[in-house]
Amino acid sequence: MTELQTRPAPRTGVRDLVRPDRVHGSVYTDPEVFELELQRIYAEGWVFVAHDSEVPEPGDYVTRRIGRDPVIVTRSRNGEVHVLANRCAHRGNRLCNAERGNSTTFRCPYHGWTFKNDGALVGIPMRNGYSEEILAKRSELGLSPLPRVERYRGFVFASLAGEGISLREHLGAATGAIDRLLALSPSGTLDLRAGWMKHKHFSNWKMVIENNVDGYHALFTHQSVYEAVREAKVSHVPSKVEVYVRDLGNGHSEIDYLPEYSRLDEEFVWFGRAPRTKLPHYVAAMEEAYGAEATHRAFVVGPPHTMIFPNLFLAEMNIMYVEPIGPGETVAYTTPALIPGMSEMNSRMLRRTEGAMGPAGFLIADDGEIGARNQLGLASRSPEWILLARGLHTDERDETGTVNHDKSSETPQRGLWHHWASVLNGQDETAGA
Amino acid sequence: MSAPTTAATGVDPVVLAFLHREARLADEARYSEWEQLWDDDARYWVPMSEDADPDRDLSYIYDNRRRLKSRVAQLNTGSRHSQTPPSKMRRLLSNTELLARDADTVTVGSNFVLYEYRYGMTIWAGRVIHRIVLDPERGPRLREKTVHLVNAGDPLPTLAFLL
Repeated sequence: MTELQTRPAPRTGVRDLVRPDRVHGSVYTDPEVFELELQRIYAEGWVFVAHDSEVPEPGDYVTRRIGRDPVIVTRSRNGEVHVLANRCAHRGNRLCNAERGNSTTFRCPYHGWTFKNDGALVGIPMRNGYSEEILAKRSELGLSPLPRVERYRGFVFASLAGEGISLREHLGAATGAIDRLLALSPSGTLDLRAGWMKHKHFSNWKMVIENNVDGYHALFTHQSVYEAVREAKVSHVPSKVEVYVRDLGNGHSEIDYLPEYSRLDEEFVWFGRAPRTKLPHYVAAMEEAYGAEATHRAFVVGPPHTMIFPNLFLAEMNIMYVEPIGPGETVAYTTPALIPGMSEMNSRMLRRTEGAMGPAGFLIADDGEIGARNQLGLASRSPEWILLARGLHTDERDETGTVNHDKSSETPQRGLWHHWASVLNGQDETAGA
Repeated sequence: MSAPTTAATGVDPVVLAFLHREARLADEARYSEWEQLWDDDARYWVPMSEDADPDRDLSYIYDNRRRLKSRVAQLNTGSRHSQTPPSKMRRLLSNTELLARDADTVTVGSNFVLYEYRYGMTIWAGRVIHRIVLDPERGPRLREKTVHLVNAGDPLPTLAFLL
């Protein structure tokens, strides 16, 4: 039997796997659920694919995957960003095998077909071996562009499906999180070119993203950091802080430190409490761009801690995206959200990202370990359900979404699962949450 | 140095013995003893590519002396879950060559293979460059350790042990 024949037939829904206060354990382990996710979420929905700053000049490219599909993100001569299938239109060779680079054309080493970086087929060696009929259709034999590519303030998203809601509809309230991050940049832009740390997690991709907005685990999973290295920026004991969790709708969710930071009215609590005197150039650039009052506010409010469904995590001054590999394997990519031209900030950010994130990070290494053990534990079929009831009775609805004033509530996870089920069941994406 | 050098490699046996000791302490999760091998001025670096510039490029690990101390302190808590219990490890250091020497330091490069057993066997491999201070009173001390993993460009499993 071929691999295709042995692959399980996709499910058509998950109607019996998500309840308001619990999810079925098989959502993390069932290969059929995983196949359905790749189709409904990663092929039909919007997926973060790259950032504008990664391809600043014409000819620049990076290679990525959307679900299992390899793609090339290019900037063509007219400055436009293209997301193209990374597959020679002739016989299927993966065309571009570098992670990044600059090239105006891609030539397939198999039979020499050559494509421009906007996807157009520009060269067929020994072309007279083809009929006039085929040659007349050259323009249809380019690299397949992804049916939809849209951007929000430098973040490039793509969808493998031609039809569906717009990116703005998908992002909904999550645009506020991107705005919050960009409010810390005098130019309103970021530079994501420090390189992506690649960390293999032996757990389901949803476990990784749920954990990113889990306000309950830090005291336990990260106990060793607070015990041996430094106090948490603000207490992780929910009763001692005004840190909220929020389901923003459409599967997006966050831990919101804003109420606590505002209460403290202290700048840079989120940045090791660095004093302004250590960042004079940055402070001046911010005040020049936004004025003294808005700058103070931005320094107090700090960056977002927001998960944008399905794969982008604004991890305060880090950007993370996840790639599902299999039901029990995920790769997380992390890079610091560098601020163009602000070297005082950026040199600190590099070291902070290394300290906290990735396979050797003081925080994420332990998240990876706990995730792997979670996946091992889920091999047990009993109990069938995973309880996500924490704080359900104290959730409040307001204009920002579903909020809970206890940061340890499982409000973000409930929002994620509600949306997940509606997408996998083929319901209108905006009808969720 | 007055000590004899091995003709094949030009690496002082004192330096080789230091490298082997460092490898063994890391393998056996003897964190504090390992930390004591370091100089007051320290850099423990695991870059993401061979040509990386740590001032511009993100690294997997880029520890100065202070962060190295924190790393060891975290491992010593017993609740660094990704190393609780510590991985079982043994590494082989080979092809050691003298790369540079100045008044008080020597720089040596080696290849290594590290077998890590945790839930399963993971094999790590690469090139390691040690810069060692030869202090006549305190003995050899590690000033810089740079580890170029052969698969640094690939997604790495959790790497919370001492590489």
